[in-house]
Amino acid sequence: MTSTAQELHPAPTLEPGRTILELKGLEKRYPGTHALKPVNLAFKASEIHAIVGENGAGKSTLIKLLTGVMPRTSGDVIWEGKPAALATPHEAMALGINAVHQEVVLCRHLTVAANMFLGEEDSRFGILQQRAMVREAQKIIDDLGFDLPAHVVLGDLTIGQQQLIAAARATVRGTKFLIFDEPTAYLTRKEADQLFTLIRRLKGEGVTIIYISHRMEEVFELADRVSVLRDGTLVGTRNIAETNDAELVKMMINRSIEQVYHKEHFIPGATLLEARNLSGKGFENVSMTIRAGEIVGLYGLIGAGRSEFVTTLYGRHRKSAGQILWKGKEVQVNSEHDAIKLGMALAPESRRDQGLCLNLPVGLNLNLPIYKRISSNLLISSAQEKTEADRQIANLRIKTPTRHALASSLSGGNQQKIVIGKWLAHGAKLFIFDEPTVGVDVGTKAEIYRLFGELLSKGAGIILISSYLPEVYELADTLHVFRRGKLVATHGFHTADHEEILTQALAEKQEKPGGQI
Amino acid sequence: MSTEAIAAERPKRNYNALFGLTLLALLVLLWVILSVATPSFASANNISNLLRQGSMIAILAVGQTFVIITGGIDLSVGAVVGFATVIVAMLINAGVPIYLAILITLLVGVAIGLFHGFGIVKMGLPPFIITLATLTSLRGIGLLMTNGNSISINNDAFQLFSRSSFLGVPNLFWMVILVGIPAYIFLHHSRWGRYLFSVGSNAEASRLSGVNVQRTIYMAYTLSGLCAAFVGVLLASRIGIGNPTQAEGWELQAIASSVIGGTSLFGAVGSVHGPLLGAFILATINNGANLLNVNAFWQRIITGVLIIVIVYFDGLRRRGK
Repeated sequence: MTSTAQELHPAPTLEPGRTILELKGLEKRYPGTHALKPVNLAFKASEIHAIVGENGAGKSTLIKLLTGVMPRTSGDVIWEGKPAALATPHEAMALGINAVHQEVVLCRHLTVAANMFLGEEDSRFGILQQRAMVREAQKIIDDLGFDLPAHVVLGDLTIGQQQLIAAARATVRGTKFLIFDEPTAYLTRKEADQLFTLIRRLKGEGVTIIYISHRMEEVFELADRVSVLRDGTLVGTRNIAETNDAELVKMMINRSIEQVYHKEHFIPGATLLEARNLSGKGFENVSMTIRAGEIVGLYGLIGAGRSEFVTTLYGRHRKSAGQILWKGKEVQVNSEHDAIKLGMALAPESRRDQGLCLNLPVGLNLNLPIYKRISSNLLISSAQEKTEADRQIANLRIKTPTRHALASSLSGGNQQKIVIGKWLAHGAKLFIFDEPTVGVDVGTKAEIYRLFGELLSKGAGIILISSYLPEVYELADTLHVFRRGKLVATHGFHTADHEEILTQALAEKQEKPGGQI
Repeated sequence: MSTEAIAAERPKRNYNALFGLTLLALLVLLWVILSVATPSFASANNISNLLRQGSMIAILAVGQTFVIITGGIDLSVGAVVGFATVIVAMLINAGVPIYLAILITLLVGVAIGLFHGFGIVKMGLPPFIITLATLTSLRGIGLLMTNGNSISINNDAFQLFSRSSFLGVPNLFWMVILVGIPAYIFLHHSRWGRYLFSVGSNAEASRLSGVNVQRTIYMAYTLSGLCAAFVGVLLASRIGIGNPTQAEGWELQAIASSVIGGTSLFGAVGSVHGPLLGAFILATINNGANLLNVNAFWQRIITGVLIIVIVYFDGLRRRGK
C-alpha cells in the first residue's frame, strides 16, 4: 500500500444528509435471549450519531452486526441504497465500515507504524518497506495532530495513546462509516480532546460516525443525533439540540439523574489508615488519613501516581520511605496478603486483567477471598459456598442465571459488581476502588454508588480513585488531587469547583509519550 | 427474562456432565467392540493386564492435570518415573526397609517438584523450559548413578505387590483409586483446588484476592512430582529393575490422557475423573490393537488421530456455550 496524506481520508460519495446506512427490522436472538429487538434506524452521511444505553441494552450487539462479526437473525441492512449481507468482518471493511473498540485490539509488541499498516503492509518484491511505512505513519499521525512517535513499540504507549493509534488506523482504510465504542474510557482529557478533533474532522470529510459512550457530556459535545437503546429495544432518536441530559437518562433507565449520584453523609469515625510522608515507585511524600464512614477521593490524570500510591498501601509494591499506620499503629504491608489480613480490600482498575477469573464461575470469583473462612480444615463447606455466593448475587443484583455461570458471560457492569462483591463477605474495613465505573452504564453506576453508602453505614472507609471528575466530586468527602506523583491539593466536599480542581490536576507542561526523548 | 436465562443455563451444565459420560461411553463402547472382535479381550487375564497398563499413566495424568490447570506443563514426569525406579531399586538393594525406601523415593519426587516451583516462581522460567531441563538431566543423572546398567531388585516381596490382586482387582488399579479419591476431594472440595483453578484463570486477580499464587504453583508441581515418583515405585515393582531410561515418552501419554479427559492447556479447566478415563481409553486402544494384531506403528497414529478428534469435539462443545 502506498498511501499518501491525500488518500488518507475518503472522498465523500454522498452529499451530507443523505441516508448512507439503513436498518430495517434488524434483529438478533441468542439462545435464551433476545439481544436486539427489531430496530429501524437510518444513519445519514457525515453525521455524528451517538448511541447510548445501559450495559446489556444491545449496543455491542448492534456494533457486532454492523461490523459483520456476528450474523443477524433477521432484518435488512441497506448500504448506500443496496442490501448488504454483512456476513463477515471483511465484507464490512470492504464497504467502508470500521470500528474502534473500547479495549485496544492491536499487536502490542509491534511498532506503531507496523500496527497502522497491519494487513496492508507496503512491500517491494516481498521485502517490507519498513522505513517508508514509519515515515508514512508518522505523517498520518502528525497530520491528525497527535503528538506520538510512529517508530516505538505500541505497548510502550499508554492505553489512551494506543486508543488514538487505533482511531488513526481506522481512518486510513477508506472508511465511510466509523464506529467508536466507548473510546474515551481510558483516555485523559487531553487525549480525549485530540480524539474529538479527529472525529469532527472525519465528519467534515464526509465520514459517518457512530459514537457509543456512557458519558453524557461527550454526547452533547459531539453528536448531531442520539439514539437510546434499552433492553434491546430502540427507545427513540433525538436531535441533540432538542433534548437534554435528563431526558436521555430517563429514556435509558427510567430514573432521574439526581438519583445516580446518591450521596449520604456520615459522621466520620476513627481513623482506619494513615499514610505519613509515604514515597514509592511513581509517587512521593504523600500523607493522608482515611476514617471510617468517609469516602476519600483521589483525582488526577492517569499516571499521576494515584494507582501506584494505593497499590503500595495494598502491599503490591514496596514503599521507599514513610510510614503506613493502621488504626494508629505502624504496620509493614509486604504483600497483598498482609493488607487483606489487616482488613483492606482492593477492587483493581482493570477487571479483565486484575479483577476477575473470567473463565471460572461467578460463585468461585465471589468466594475467592473467603475460601479460608468457608472451609473447615481441608474441605470447603459447599452449603456455605452456595449461601455466600447467592447472597452477594442477590444483594448486588448481579444479573446471572446462576452462580455456576462463567464470569465471562456477564456484561461489564455485572462483572464489576463481582469485583466489588467479593470483598463484601470478607468483612474488610477499608475499600479501595480504582476506577470502579469505567465502562459501566448509568444504572450500574447508581447501584455501585448505593453500595458505597451501605459500606459507609457499616463503618467502612473508602478510597475512591477516578479520572472522571463528576464522580469523585459528587461522592468524596475529602478530595485529594494528584499530579506527577505528588499530592498537590486537598478539598472538602464541594469546597472547590470543577475548574479549580481540573487546573490543579493538569500539568503545566505537556506530556511526551512513550518515554521518548 | 430471568426464567428464560435459567432455562438456557441448564442444558449447559448437563452438557458438561454429558462429556464425562461420553468418555465413559466411549470406553465402554471400545470394550464391547473389542470383546466381540477378539475372544481374548474379555478374559480375566487380559482385563487385569489392561488395568495394570493403564494405571500408571492414569496416576501420572492426575498429577499432570493439577499442573495444567494452573496454566503450566510438566514434561519431566516420564524422567522422574525412570529416576525413581533407580532410587527405589538402589535403596532396597542397600538393605533399606521397603517402606522407608518408598518414602525416600516419594520425597525425591517432592524435591523435584519443589525445584520446578522454584524455577518458575523465583527464577521466572517458563514451566515448559524448567521441566524440559529436568527431563533431560534426570535421565543423565540416573545413567551416571547406574553406569548405564539396569539394577535388578533383590526383593521378591516388593515385586509381588504389583503382580497381586485384591478382591480380584489388580493392586496397581487399587493404587489409582488410592490416588484418585483424595485427588478428587482435593481438586473439587478443598480451597487449594479452587486456588489451582483461579491461578490458572487469572494469577493477578487471584493475588489481589489474597491467594498465595507462589505457594499454589509450588503445590501443583510438587504433587505432580509426587505422583511421578509414586508411579516410579510401582513400575520398579512391576518390572523388578531400576533403570533410568524407563518410562520414555510417558509424559506425553500423561498429557494426552489429561487433554482427552477435558483438561484445557490454557488452564483453569480440568477434573480428576477426566484424565483417569483418558488414560484407560489410551490403554484400551493399545491393548486392543495388540490383540487385533494391528501394526504397533499404527497404534501411534490412531492415538494421534484420537487426540485430535476428541479435543476438537471438546472445543466445539466449549465454544457452543
